[in-house]
Amino acid sequence: MTLLADVQDATGTRGTRPARRTSRPVALLTAATAVAVLMAVPLVFLLIEAAGAGAGELRSLIFRSLTWSLLWNTVRLTAVVTVACAVVGTGAAWCVERTDLPGRRVWAVLVVIPLAIPDFVVSFGWNSLWTWAHGFIGAVIVMTLAVYPLVYLPVAASLRSADPSQEEVARSLGVGRVRTFARITLGQAKGAIGGGCLLVALVLLAEYGAFEILGYQTFTTEIFTEFHGYSFAASCALSLVLVLLSLLVLAGEGVLRSRGGRVTRTGPMTQRISPPQRLGRLRWPVLALFAALVLLALGVPVASAVYWMTAGLPPALSGGANVSLLNAAAHTAGYGAAAGALATVLAFPVALLALRHAGRVRHFLERSSYLVLGMPGVVVAFALSYFTERYAAGFGYGTPALLTVCYAVMFFPLALVGVKASLARAPVSLDEVARSLGQRRLAVLFRVTARIAGPGLVAAFCLVFLSVVTELTATLLLIPTGTQTLATQFWAYETNLSYSQAAPFALVMMVVAAVPSYLLGRFFQRPAQTGG
Amino acid sequence: MRDVTVSGLSKTFGAQPVLAGLDLEVPAGSLTAILGPSGSGKTTLLRLLAGFERADRGTIAIGGVQVDGPGVHLPPERRRIGYVPQEGSLFPHLTVAGNVGFGLPAAQRRGGKVDALLETVGLGGFGRRYPHQLSGGQQQRVALARALAIEPAVVLLDEPFASLDAHLRASVRADVQEIFRRAGTTAVLVTHDQDEALSVADRVAALRDGRIAQCAPPEDLYCRPADPRLASFIGEANLLEGVVSGATVKTLLGALPLDPAAAIPGAAGQVTVLIRPEQIDIMPNEDGLTAHVTSYRYHGHDAVLVVRLQDETGAEGSEPVVVRIIGGSHRPVAPQLSVGAVVTLRARGPVFAWPAD
Repeated sequence: MTLLADVQDATGTRGTRPARRTSRPVALLTAATAVAVLMAVPLVFLLIEAAGAGAGELRSLIFRSLTWSLLWNTVRLTAVVTVACAVVGTGAAWCVERTDLPGRRVWAVLVVIPLAIPDFVVSFGWNSLWTWAHGFIGAVIVMTLAVYPLVYLPVAASLRSADPSQEEVARSLGVGRVRTFARITLGQAKGAIGGGCLLVALVLLAEYGAFEILGYQTFTTEIFTEFHGYSFAASCALSLVLVLLSLLVLAGEGVLRSRGGRVTRTGPMTQRISPPQRLGRLRWPVLALFAALVLLALGVPVASAVYWMTAGLPPALSGGANVSLLNAAAHTAGYGAAAGALATVLAFPVALLALRHAGRVRHFLERSSYLVLGMPGVVVAFALSYFTERYAAGFGYGTPALLTVCYAVMFFPLALVGVKASLARAPVSLDEVARSLGQRRLAVLFRVTARIAGPGLVAAFCLVFLSVVTELTATLLLIPTGTQTLATQFWAYETNLSYSQAAPFALVMMVVAAVPSYLLGRFFQRPAQTGG
Repeated sequence: MRDVTVSGLSKTFGAQPVLAGLDLEVPAGSLTAILGPSGSGKTTLLRLLAGFERADRGTIAIGGVQVDGPGVHLPPERRRIGYVPQEGSLFPHLTVAGNVGFGLPAAQRRGGKVDALLETVGLGGFGRRYPHQLSGGQQQRVALARALAIEPAVVLLDEPFASLDAHLRASVRADVQEIFRRAGTTAVLVTHDQDEALSVADRVAALRDGRIAQCAPPEDLYCRPADPRLASFIGEANLLEGVVSGATVKTLLGALPLDPAAAIPGAAGQVTVLIRPEQIDIMPNEDGLTAHVTSYRYHGHDAVLVVRLQDETGAEGSEPVVVRIIGGSHRPVAPQLSVGAVVTLRARGPVFAWPAD
């Protein structure tokens, strides 16, 4: 939720005063409540299932040596990778935004692209080329390279929008360059770094595919295994611990954030760009570091996929694979589009309520929907399948609808970011003007609100689409029998060690995910247009 | 061209009463300014007129048709209100022409009418630009054209000049006034700037404690305010004690003719007298009322002095008196003015007065 704040800071969509409205927006409140309830479903059913298993059994399932080794594995990896990402992401962001690094614009794009590559494809790239890349070391390398953009993006945005005059004031007060960086620049970016680290930690807790390939056991991989082995009680017990860990991370980050004051900055009217810091002699070493980063994070997965494709079967034999490639891509795109649309639609009432109607109930509704952030995909999928099995007599299980709903729930917070950012561009005053000009509510929605918010809604859609394309865990659990997406087909070949057949799927996933990534970058870097 | 009648209007936000039984008459074709300090409920009044809010009590009628009242609430889109919000609030996704034509039926959105409106506001040829390509003053004028396009019964302007630079403000103000004069549209303008209210409007309504304290032409409001508090709110005021006998009133500044409009019962007795700073002249040092200068602020076009009177014995009176004189260096009489200087004052009538409490 802090990333949300940072993205909003970056897009200048914060600080809009909610209009005072006395009438209760009944329809909106109802819709938002329904969404909040849907978001609460996974947690509620997890708890019901746990209650059903009985306290004694749960205790014996949780307090066993396996849990401790999983906890150790999960926590040490999360800690190490989060710190590594914070260092890499912040350093890269500062160099790109604040120094005279040659080719900054190109680096700004290249450094972000790894976010579009699924984590399990990165681990495939490393593990298939070098056998030493496995276990803890492999997981640290692969995950750091795969997710550091989650720190880079918010930090870069916050550095871009931070007031450069604070640094100038510090220098004028006799504080040196290095200490100014430590005390002012890092201070300004503190919230963004924290928000990025939060996301990194959550991703690590939820990751399945990459660790499976690397042979590294965490809570998520174990839940997945138990679930596939039909040990529901065991997967439920482990899920409880995992959710607890995620919520701890969320809460810890919230505490950290509330301690630091908000960064003030001058308004957009007075925004200046500070002259870049000169790297001087460090120029070439820094350039080399950037080249190495891009080579490792982007070069290795792409090169590995290309290598296995060319090293693989002759074209004649891969004919069948090509058909299924198209087929799988179509399924992936279909799920991505359906889930993107659903999540955006679900986010709409919550965002509208949060932005335009201040109030405690409304605040609570918005906040509660962020709880989903603490629910790893494997748990959401598990809870939903449990729900259909126990309460809907298996109705809906194994259908595309259930998987779509699962995606929409998992990625709801992402959609909410985009929808909120876009709706904030269409202030209430515009609605009022439009109505005073004789337009009915519905006409206003189409002619004004939707038109202005449109690009942002597309961004929200893309964000979810991108996430669905690269999602593996929930997909493997809930995909209808006989259907294959890019991710599941890749996974099937990969687990068979048919690397040359898996490689094309990896490449297509990268391409499919790169397009929305690019659009997103464009959207979030564009300053909010004000109506004057 | 319609008139607006508001009676007994009340609106409360939470526990905070904002409007408390407000009455207001806006004659058809007039430009009426609602003047009040920030937080006095000006914007709330405007939003009630526009229909964005509902009144708790009281009624609003536009052109004789009740639009708000018990059991009645005409939605904003059916009131034919041209609303010009504070920041202009142009639709950022539409061109200037698109903005102006927004409220028109689809068939009329392109062509003559929009162009003519843009001409009216002095922005002919700007139709294809986007709002962010315009200056603040231009955006304000587009917002005005957009409001006028629907041939509104009434135009509402919410602090329309507040966001403009000082030098732009005067010219945009004059343009807007001219546009309304020509269109003959009824307009209600909300402002906290008394200069603006007095210079632009035909009638100024002073908003105080959730009610209209007085609604009158600018000159009346300034020269004959309803009570002493209002006198101090609108411009600077010297409020002195006086005694009326017949057509004159005796004050510290001498005997002065009383404004015939002042309603003094029995034309005699204790009164509070209003003497505006510009009603007092500084005279060459001759016989008369002497005072010494305690503060002197030079503004170029004028200068404001605060003086303390000396009585016949040379002892100082307690009342500070504010004096405004023409600035520059070409005043007809120029005694050396600075703090501590002794000057002679002369007040000019007629003066307005209220019976003393």
